[in-house]
Amino acid sequence: MTTSADITPPEEQQRHGAARRPVRASRLRRPAVLWCAVFLGVLVLVALAAPLLAPYDPLALDIKNKLASPSVAHWLGTDDLGRDVLSRLIYGARTSVVASAEVVAVALLLGVSVGLLVGYLGGLWDRVTMQVVDALQAVPALLLALAMVAVVGNGLVKAMFAVGLVFAVSFMRVTRAVVLAEREQLYVDAARVTGLGRAHIVFRQILPNVAAPLIVQASIAAGTALLIEASLSFLGVGIDTTQVSWGGMLETARQFQSEQPLLPIFPGVAIAVCVLLYNLLGDGLRDAVGVRDPAAGAPARSARTRTRLSVVERRPAEAAPASAPADGTLLSVRGLTVAAGDTELVSDVSFDVRKGETFGLVGESGCGKSVTATAVMGLLPGAVRVTGGSVLLDGRDLVRLGERELQRIRGERIGMVFQDPVAALSPSHTVGHQLGEALMVHKGMTRKQAAARSAELLSLVGVPDARRRLADYPHQFSGGMAQRVVIAAALACEPELLIADEPTTALDVTIQAQVLDLLDDLKRQLSMSVLLITHDLGVVADVCDRVAVMYAGQVVEVGSTEDLLLSPRHPYSEALLAAMPHGAPVERLATIPGRVPPAWDWPSGCRFHPRCPYAVERCGEGRPEIADGARCVRAAELTLKGVR
Amino acid sequence: MKKLVVSRLISSVPLLVLLSLFVFGLINLTPTDPAAQILGVGAGEDAKAAYRHQLGLDRPLHEQFGQWVLGALRGDLGKSWFTAQPVTQMIGDRLGVTLSLALLALVLALLAGVPLGILGALRPGSVPDRILTLAVSLGLAVPGFWLALLLALLFALTLRWFPVVGYTPFTEDPGEWARSLVLPATAMAVHTAAVIARQTRGALVDTLNAPYVQALRSRGIPFRRILLRYAMKNAMIPVLAVIAVQMSVLVGVTFVVERIFALPGIGTLLMDGVVQADMPVLQGTVVVVGALVLLINLITDIAYGVVNPKVRPR
Ligand code: SF4
Repeated sequence: MTTSADITPPEEQQRHGAARRPVRASRLRRPAVLWCAVFLGVLVLVALAAPLLAPYDPLALDIKNKLASPSVAHWLGTDDLGRDVLSRLIYGARTSVVASAEVVAVALLLGVSVGLLVGYLGGLWDRVTMQVVDALQAVPALLLALAMVAVVGNGLVKAMFAVGLVFAVSFMRVTRAVVLAEREQLYVDAARVTGLGRAHIVFRQILPNVAAPLIVQASIAAGTALLIEASLSFLGVGIDTTQVSWGGMLETARQFQSEQPLLPIFPGVAIAVCVLLYNLLGDGLRDAVGVRDPAAGAPARSARTRTRLSVVERRPAEAAPASAPADGTLLSVRGLTVAAGDTELVSDVSFDVRKGETFGLVGESGCGKSVTATAVMGLLPGAVRVTGGSVLLDGRDLVRLGERELQRIRGERIGMVFQDPVAALSPSHTVGHQLGEALMVHKGMTRKQAAARSAELLSLVGVPDARRRLADYPHQFSGGMAQRVVIAAALACEPELLIADEPTTALDVTIQAQVLDLLDDLKRQLSMSVLLITHDLGVVADVCDRVAVMYAGQVVEVGSTEDLLLSPRHPYSEALLAAMPHGAPVERLATIPGRVPPAWDWPSGCRFHPRCPYAVERCGEGRPEIADGARCVRAAELTLKGVR
Repeated sequence: MKKLVVSRLISSVPLLVLLSLFVFGLINLTPTDPAAQILGVGAGEDAKAAYRHQLGLDRPLHEQFGQWVLGALRGDLGKSWFTAQPVTQMIGDRLGVTLSLALLALVLALLAGVPLGILGALRPGSVPDRILTLAVSLGLAVPGFWLALLLALLFALTLRWFPVVGYTPFTEDPGEWARSLVLPATAMAVHTAAVIARQTRGALVDTLNAPYVQALRSRGIPFRRILLRYAMKNAMIPVLAVIAVQMSVLVGVTFVVERIFALPGIGTLLMDGVVQADMPVLQGTVVVVGALVLLINLITDIAYGVVNPKVRPR
């Protein structure tokens, strides 16, 4: 639906998703919404001006001319009694507009007031009302309208009142939900404290918030009301004979369509077009006000993050630095550059992971660590591409492999562990099912063999009572246990390299150490290498042999953990270290102001220079290369403080 | 699971009582006099009074309602004021038609809507996806009964592939039974298919962006396998909720479509009840349809529990 092709980096997207979006005027001005509003305006005008517009009296009989085909005199022909179809269509617009308006009015008045009331009173009132509402919703709207007509007699107003009653239910639910949510908000409490009356709270603070979803609802309700009015008239119960309705015209058409097949066309098209307009208007408004439609998924997001798994177009690596991987190197990332559109997310990143070592990739959030890891796995989302460099696993360039070959490497040779273990497991499949999947795919095991091996794996990662827990679902595991399960799944095929992306960040502090110890144990037992991504230098100090520090999409320092901790060579590393001993993980650096700039806004020269306490004029120029393990033009002259 | 079913069944009883009270109240708010209607306005006062007594209308309202509820609990919904036939039997005779029509329409809608939704979700924003979005908007806007008219015009009246009107019971001739339902069910299915396609697409797009899909891919599981074995199951959870609502919508739509194809379903019964102000028929039908909708909701809830382990009581 949304066709915007703009690529917003992940962080930016999250911020938009989380915050409540204000109504954006620019979105309201989008052509679709505008056109719908214009056409519906025209519809209302036609309804109002029907006597002026219609060439004939819609009820005037002309039996001689019955069932005529379109002609100059009767543009759309005549019906079984010789009445002009065009005139009847125009008058029909009147009926349908009145019907929609009445339903929306009744639903709004009743729904909003009851919703406000029960939402505010809560307790028993709320429960009883919801019971009644449930009962009311068990009846199809059409049925209730029919019952109403049977009881109080024919008439559009009465029938539509009943329909309005049904729609009031959904309006009420929306209002009540908003009120309940707002009640929790501090400001309502604050208002109460300052002695504002309840009525004041309702009108000043709740109504504005409920307005947006209600407008959307109203638009949809108007369309549905039109459909129901047409159905009732078609059944001949909605309106009396002096009123003209599109539904009634269709009933005539039903009887005479074998004689004049054009009869059903025009009223049907009129109904469909109007309902379409109401619906499109509702959809457009919904997008504009940012109300999430449970039925439509997330159109705005889906257009941006494409999930298509086509083999990513890979440009051949530019002349990668010729340094052949040193002996004992398992993974060698050379000059890796990743971009979303024209925006580089990761620039010229190089590092080596040796066999059997734990290599840390450290930096504040937003510096490109995770993008690097995802690129190594070949799992970048469609719009994000590797535009240069190579990822060599045992000398084989993963960047050039196709999806099929990559599948054989993922899981079998490289495993991956994620930040949020519960989210990394499918909520509706048992843990055993998910653990076994890789074994069945890569090792060709049967479900039974896979289950046996899965139980072994779970015991290996320290999940007690492993065999029984295979039948449990992810939500039955604690965060720490779930992370063990995810680790077990990543290790199922005994990969040579395990990429752990912030594996302890989401866990309790006490659990963090256990999981780190487990990773360290497993590394030794299975003699594999670990690429550990973290923002926590404490974690690095505990388990990493060597480390690369990343800032703003670049590696700024690389070396052994000991060197980094005791004698950092890059001012950014120093700042990270300065923040560490206080125990706080470095999501934000306390010691230096500012934060990592977003990817489209990276400064020229040394990307750290706006925040660097040692910056001099030449830092803002050129593109400092990594030399002697640090990307700093003053590396040689500075003496930086490590951990004391 | 058993607990869930039982508790839901129990909680639906007050709902039904409430519903029937609602209809009963509505009926008694109005000054219709069945005696005058049936015997004619000119009938003698004595005759009318006797008739009212015979129908039990001279008793206090709460007694009448209590009587009706007691009867309903035993499966006796009273007798039609006009034909004196038991309402339960009248409904029973016609329920099959309405239900088979609604179910057939739902099956058709699922067969079309789910694959189309998947198609759109696999490449959001692509040309097929946009065509699908457009088609869904159209499908949501086109009135089912109009479609029924057009289908009847084309396939029944012009091409004569299907019967124009009428219904053959399944027990008589399954082939003819299917033939008599194909057109109405197709007309009804379009709207529901659009709803389901839209929901499936949205849910699947969300699911495919979920971290666990990335996790499965990181273990080298082929995409097709992830889609079929994992993503689909998770994406169907919200779709199920929509199916429940659609079933109730479909039952409503049958009322109109039955008329076009002259099918002897609940709809025609209801229409007769409305036109003649035959209150026992009306009340019985409304309550039975309400019960049906509640039952459908219950079935969906159970299915929901089967797919979604989080709500499954253990
Ligand atoms: S190059 Fe200059 S600005 Fe950049 S880290 Fe070194 S001293 Fe600081």
